[in-house]
Amino acid sequence: MTGLFVAALIAWLFTRALLGYPKPTTHYRRLLRGEAAFVEAACGVMFPAGGAIPLAGTEVGAAPYLDRMMDASKPRIRALMHSLFFLVEHASLVFRGPGRGGRRRFTRLDPEQQLGVLRGWETSSFFARRLVFVSLRSLLAMAYLQHPSVLRELGIAPMAIDTSVCEADLWMPRVGADPSTIPWSVSDVNTPRDDVEPLNLDSPLHPDYAEDSS
Amino acid sequence: MTSNPVHQGIDLRVFARYRGDFTEEADVVVVGSGPGGAVVAHGLVEKGLRVVLVEEGPPIPPADFEFDGGMSMARTMREGGLRTTRGTVMPTMQAIALGGGSLVNSAICVRAPEFVLDRWSRDYELNKTTRTELDPHYDAVGAFLGISPTPEDVQGARNLLFRDGCDALGYSSEPIARNVRGCRGSGECFTGCRSRAKQSMDISYVHEALEAGACVLTSARVENVLASGHRVSGVEGHVVEPFTGRPRYRFRVNAKVVVLAAGCMATPVLLQKSGGLANRSGQVGENLRFHPGVAAMGTFPDRVDPQFGATQGYQSLEFIKRGFKLETLWAPPTIFAVRLPGSGMAFKERLGDLPYSAVWDAIGSCNRSVGRVRARFRGNDPKLSWKLHPEDVGLLMEALYRLAEIFFAAGAHTVLPGVSGLPEEMHTLEAADVLRTHEVPASSLVLGGNHAFCSTRMHGDPRRGVVDESGRCHDFENLYVADTGIFPECPSVNPMWTGMALAHRTAGCIADRI
Repeated sequence: MTGLFVAALIAWLFTRALLGYPKPTTHYRRLLRGEAAFVEAACGVMFPAGGAIPLAGTEVGAAPYLDRMMDASKPRIRALMHSLFFLVEHASLVFRGPGRGGRRRFTRLDPEQQLGVLRGWETSSFFARRLVFVSLRSLLAMAYLQHPSVLRELGIAPMAIDTSVCEADLWMPRVGADPSTIPWSVSDVNTPRDDVEPLNLDSPLHPDYAEDSS
Repeated sequence: MTSNPVHQGIDLRVFARYRGDFTEEADVVVVGSGPGGAVVAHGLVEKGLRVVLVEEGPPIPPADFEFDGGMSMARTMREGGLRTTRGTVMPTMQAIALGGGSLVNSAICVRAPEFVLDRWSRDYELNKTTRTELDPHYDAVGAFLGISPTPEDVQGARNLLFRDGCDALGYSSEPIARNVRGCRGSGECFTGCRSRAKQSMDISYVHEALEAGACVLTSARVENVLASGHRVSGVEGHVVEPFTGRPRYRFRVNAKVVVLAAGCMATPVLLQKSGGLANRSGQVGENLRFHPGVAAMGTFPDRVDPQFGATQGYQSLEFIKRGFKLETLWAPPTIFAVRLPGSGMAFKERLGDLPYSAVWDAIGSCNRSVGRVRARFRGNDPKLSWKLHPEDVGLLMEALYRLAEIFFAAGAHTVLPGVSGLPEEMHTLEAADVLRTHEVPASSLVLGGNHAFCSTRMHGDPRRGVVDESGRCHDFENLYVADTGIFPECPSVNPMWTGMALAHRTAGCIADRI
């Protein structure tokens, strides 16, 4: 009887915790299906549509961005990021979120409940909980603030700069590339001078951040 | 090879060019190409010595710079920029690239104040480390890099508002001197200077060293210092794949002299992993200190457009003897977002205030707050423990109050000090008074471990320090350290110029002895 109860409990926990995530439309190298759903949900709650920056967190491609970041990280850092997503996604199964039906994983809560859960982490009197919140919010903010539309809206998108070619660039290949691929020659060297014009609001944006780029 | 004839004589090894295990012979092998290692390597090759400079990171040209703060950190920083101390949890960074931290710092160059060097000299038996003794070395580095105060036309409103606030209060302030030529005020120092204005080590000292005949091994991780008796004979390690760090080939450099300049957090780990070298004093990895930083954001009625202007263009040394330095700051917005309070729409609205805001920071000379560096059981990353002393918490809170004071004097209507447990926004100086009257635990502060020191400290007494004034390890005839780990205490100001001045002196000492 006890065995049956334990098996049922495990099955219930398994269903609640790990099943039922939507199939992602993108292939992720590092993010698991549930993590991608969590990242998109948390980013949507952290950055709702409207306000000073119209774009919502669900529109910036947070999951693909964090997948790229995880891919660029060392295994130990990746493990910490996996743990962070797992923790916040499932903590509300133990410490219930606000309102009716609050004992569900984060991605199954209503947006108001999700915001309540995040505020609970943010305002906790326990430093460790606040640290978890700051870590998560930092990652979500990175994902949100990398989007060209968001940066344009804030007026802080990178400007176009005619990158100078200095003498060192004559021997510096792209990372991982062979020196034979270096495109510069001596005649390209144009080390910056002191009389160059500072950038200003009228300076053109970098092509990747210009209006028609996204 | 390239078709460029200038490139023919350059002995730079990049990952794509390694074909198998190899051994090099040198008079001197220098480990680490940051400000310390680059200056030593250049100084020695200029003296006609055969120098091999070894760097774990790759050369990173502008085409590989990332605008996005998160991705930039993931690629240019060890542990993806997510390294933290234990004890008092504080993020701290160390770059992994040719040129080390100089590639992604804001190029601040400040000479250590006379009172600091006098204290080092007196308390650590370092008679030749006074300001008078070091000034010729500062001068040599300054002339080479073109260190000069940030000109007014690239300051931008964010920096000039700081000056105006200081002026209104009667506090001293000054344009920050930087190793920069032809800055356009793009504010991109932390993700790599696209203008090539910043004279980071890869395009200055390392470049000149290569031209003078040095061999530079990039993507080469030193894992062991070879020693026997009181002498070292070289280093060995692995060629590693850029960004992933996967080991590929083995290498070894045999040398008459070894200089470790891997940084305050990596050099002690290398010594520990090499069988506990140079540690008769028991000081390797001990005494770790930082300049913990705090920052406040002020919002003004008019647009500030904080992305324009030198990343860090103005500073105030008004409170330097009190124990903190105030300065302006700009970084990728993702970095600032960490400091903002709130979540949901409230957080988003605060982000919307960015064009009207400026962020200024303070670094504390927190000599009472001490930690240690230890090698991990696996891997080469350090395990850092460090604790912010309660009196230093008070010091940083006072610094935050001074920042709020300057913000309001400059016309800000709102200041966000970023202290948990205190009001998120302050609208008057009276409201900000709580910053200096209210006691908070260290965990309430959002800290940044800006500069790290002292883990292989210099001391005249071999029982109390790892290296002597020339940077030579007390326990070895031919092993030197040339990074900020040799500082005996916090320098109270940004350490790069002092580190380079000491490295310049070390190069001269090695050349004389060899």
